[in-house]
Amino acid sequence: MSDISHTVTAYDDELRFLSDRIAEMGGHAERMVDRAVTALIKGDHGLSRTIIADDAILDRWEREVVDKAILVIAKRQPMAKDLREIVGTMRIASDLERIGDLGKNIAKRTVAVSEVKQPLRLYRGVEALAELALLQLKEVLDIFANRKVEDITVLRDRDEDIDAKYTSLFRELLTYMMEDPRNISACTHLLFCAKNIERIGDHVTNIAETIHYMVTGLELKGERPKDDQHNAVVVAAK
Amino acid sequence: MNDMSTAEIAATTAPAKITARNVQVYYGATHAIKNVSVDILDKAVTAFIGPSGCGKSTFLRCINRMNDTISVCRVEGKIEIEGEDIYDRRVDPVQLRAKVGMVFQKPNPFPKSIYDNVAYGPKIHGLTRNKAELDEVVETSLKKAALWNEVKDRLASPGTGLSGGQQQRLCIARAIATHPEVLLMDEPCSALDPIATAQVEELIDELRSQFSVVIVTHSMQQAARVSQRTAMFHLGELVEIDATETIFTNPSHKKTQDYITGRYG
Repeated sequence: MSDISHTVTAYDDELRFLSDRIAEMGGHAERMVDRAVTALIKGDHGLSRTIIADDAILDRWEREVVDKAILVIAKRQPMAKDLREIVGTMRIASDLERIGDLGKNIAKRTVAVSEVKQPLRLYRGVEALAELALLQLKEVLDIFANRKVEDITVLRDRDEDIDAKYTSLFRELLTYMMEDPRNISACTHLLFCAKNIERIGDHVTNIAETIHYMVTGLELKGERPKDDQHNAVVVAAK
Repeated sequence: MNDMSTAEIAATTAPAKITARNVQVYYGATHAIKNVSVDILDKAVTAFIGPSGCGKSTFLRCINRMNDTISVCRVEGKIEIEGEDIYDRRVDPVQLRAKVGMVFQKPNPFPKSIYDNVAYGPKIHGLTRNKAELDEVVETSLKKAALWNEVKDRLASPGTGLSGGQQQRLCIARAIATHPEVLLMDEPCSALDPIATAQVEELIDELRSQFSVVIVTHSMQQAARVSQRTAMFHLGELVEIDATETIFTNPSHKKTQDYITGRYG
């Protein structure tokens, strides 16, 4: 936001509503993912049900952001920075809503994974991957609040770590499946969970790029890191 | 405006139709235009925006020497149209205004028939040799102004009997009847309803293929819709001139940003 207020103060209130709602959606999405991973690891079905129900809130807020944003566009005919801010808000709301969906999907798999008691080591990789993604999400929300676009490049480059970790986890889970076919069912679900977390990282990168555009009007320079090599992973049978 | 942006503008596309250099305008002791240098392109619409009193209309009026009629007004610097200094002593302001047409905020048709409104300019400038030629000019001008179909059966009726939007298009027809090279418009739609505004905007878009159009507007959306280049004025200075899409999505200057987003003090 600019340091000067609009002549029409209601316009400022409308923009503030949108950015406050994004901050709330971000916090909510962060909690959903965090708790979904906890529910998965602990096999907590009650918690997973709460998370699944919680997703409706994000869906509702996203619709609200879009409705309000359209109304602001119609009423105020925003220009320049304000226009970028509003369009950016809609895009970020959609990314956050998707992050919520991915969290919900992890929560849904809790039941299937915990049907048979799994050794803890199976979860370790997923947990570590989730920690990385959650840290990224927290930081991108901080950047949304403080508009320190200079931090964005570092954040985006760190998505590489998530991709690398995901590739190694992919390999690890394949290995467990080959060791003992009874692991296949749980490991397949865990693999989807890992994929979901990796996708969350991608949405965080989208959000970071959107914030950069909102603030500067320019696209973030340079290529996104593409270190995701899991599509080439093969584990040979012994 | 710094030299860098002048160079950038010069490099944009076609050569400039109007070149203004270090233009100063004084109303008595008031310094209304401060050292404005700008290139205005041919076959394009340039919008002048800025808060009231920023000098955009004053500067527009310099381009056809309308300020000459104000006794306390003094213009310094140089304005050239295709290399010809329009403030040169040998230039006849009346001839100049045939070349640089103007449309005002309020439609101001003469208290004459629709036909005579359009025929007036060509007649006094002796642009036609006979009635048939004059008829031809009137018809073409009204057609270009997208008014012909609405008035062709009542050319003898008074121009003042038309609706506001039609009157404004009649004024545009009158302005283009003398075959000008430049068309200046000072808030041409501010007295019109949205439909008449849309018709005039559509017309401006068509006229741009033949003229260099300069439009002063208080509507940011209008500037964004009709122009290819936008110049922002503030307190008599040119803040910046750039491609319209850049001005309205990502302007370089904070003053422009604040003004177009409605944050002006």
